[in-house]
Amino acid sequence: MTTGEMNIELKDIRFHYGKITALDGVDLTLGEGACGLLGPNGAGKSTLLRILLGFLNPAQGEGRVLGYDIRKDQFLIRRSVGYMPEDDCLIPGMDAVTFTAYFGELSGMPRQEAMKRAHDVLFYVGLGESRYRLLETYSAGMKQRLKLAQALVHDPKLLFLDEPTSNLDPQGRTEILDLIKDISLKKDIQVLVSSHILTDIEFTCSHVVILNKGKVAAQGELEALKEIQFSLYELRTKGETAGFLKGLKDKGCRVEKTEDELMKIYMPADLSRTEIFRTAALENVQIRYFIKSRTSLEDLFAETVGVD
Amino acid sequence: MPIAERGYAHWDGTFVERRFPWWPITRLGIRLAFKRKFFKPVFAISLAPAVFFLAGIYMSERIEDFQFMFRGRNGNRLLGVDPAFFKTYFTFDTVLFLMVMLMVLAGAGLISDDLKFNSLQLYFSRPLRKRDYWLGKMATASFFLLTVTLVPGLLFILFKIIFSGSFKFLADYPWIPLSVAGYSLLATLFFALYTLLISSLSKNRRYVSILLFLVYIFSDVFFGIFYGIFHEPAFCLLSIKCDLQQVGAFIFRVRPQYDVPWIYSFLVLTAICSLSGFVLKRKIRGVEVIK
Repeated sequence: MTTGEMNIELKDIRFHYGKITALDGVDLTLGEGACGLLGPNGAGKSTLLRILLGFLNPAQGEGRVLGYDIRKDQFLIRRSVGYMPEDDCLIPGMDAVTFTAYFGELSGMPRQEAMKRAHDVLFYVGLGESRYRLLETYSAGMKQRLKLAQALVHDPKLLFLDEPTSNLDPQGRTEILDLIKDISLKKDIQVLVSSHILTDIEFTCSHVVILNKGKVAAQGELEALKEIQFSLYELRTKGETAGFLKGLKDKGCRVEKTEDELMKIYMPADLSRTEIFRTAALENVQIRYFIKSRTSLEDLFAETVGVD
Repeated sequence: MPIAERGYAHWDGTFVERRFPWWPITRLGIRLAFKRKFFKPVFAISLAPAVFFLAGIYMSERIEDFQFMFRGRNGNRLLGVDPAFFKTYFTFDTVLFLMVMLMVLAGAGLISDDLKFNSLQLYFSRPLRKRDYWLGKMATASFFLLTVTLVPGLLFILFKIIFSGSFKFLADYPWIPLSVAGYSLLATLFFALYTLLISSLSKNRRYVSILLFLVYIFSDVFFGIFYGIFHEPAFCLLSIKCDLQQVGAFIFRVRPQYDVPWIYSFLVLTAICSLSGFVLKRKIRGVEVIK
């Protein structure tokens, strides 16, 4: 693949579980760099990953992963892609080296090379010392690392990570995130991280795709998205605010009130902040405190998906 | 725990196209079976009937030397190596029971463990077809089953020729090797599919083991009860053991024990195999899709 080519291109992907629509016309274009796939539970993140891997066939639409057709070239995709599932996955009775080498072999690596590579990858993910231990005795953090090792063993060009930090303690979470960042920044491996933990995505990814109710709610460079999508202001007021809030909502703003009566106003990018003052003046509301807040991914997520 | 004790290096090798992509699955299955508690002794015991029958072949050729063991009996007739001898071995209650025991220990977890530990999605995130996975698991079960069917059967023929020093046996029964191969493959296919069917029904290996054992035993118990009450031989179709014995009798051209056409027994076995295929097709998938 040459620079500038897209790793993932999806066009109008639709998928249903019976009567439930999981993906509803997803259009997606992802290039290089780590990308976060965000969305609330049931947004369609895992379904999208499974379609990209060929586990599920979309009801409609077309797509390419690393230039391969998602319907016709599933074998070639799976050979070039590493997948770290969300659930704990192991084979009882095996040690980490045999386990990792086994999946390398199933990916098409020669047996000896798969074994050698398994050792290298296990050292890389920090399981070097415990690579001969039975998998049943591994802790949650070690199982996560093991899943990462089996996803890396065949040296994929693209890595799909489904909730990579689930069930981890803060220390384990930090270590896995460090690994993901290291892989995506220094190892020429494109990473697609699906998660609903916003800080994980913010830490590891430069691009983000937000899914909501099976649709792409926002996608692009994380920093740019935070700027373009909206401006966030925090203010405190005095006086009856019902009319003021209604006025702001009519202008397309979303308003949240925190427990300590702080108002957070998500303002559309094309609207000037003077509108806030104009509305306040119109509704006889005094603004006692006003600050332009720094937007986080959490704010972007809240604004896009419409949840706190 | 330190991260990246060694740096990540890209792999510069090339992928190979395997003629049998399922072979690593089979190899692992066999290896893991031998690691299981009690498996080695049971596997050794399952070979004991074959050794016993081999001894019988030797004795049949040296009947004069062993006459003292058959006082008052017709030793020649007892140890005659003919199609009935083969049918007796292959449909011997003990041999069939040991085949079930082998499957209980080596086959129960073949699919249930993968379901329990979510490893199916790891398999299918590799360039692997459902067929390859299925064949890999089938071949694991078949390996153990063939060691107590096809391998002893062929050894019996070979040793009969060696001990007798002539090919008269093969000249008399030229179809015997085909019958041995045919019955071995049938019994192996049946038990392998029976094992995979039950293994795919539960995520708990213990339940699968118990079920494998109970279905086999109780099918025979029910036959015994109904046959005892109604004296109707058709009830033999209820028993997996009797079905195999009926089909075995046909394959080795021996009169079947029950007066029921062998084809009915064959159809019962085929139905179980088809059910297995149907269930496996639904159960084996990369993701659990709940509709």
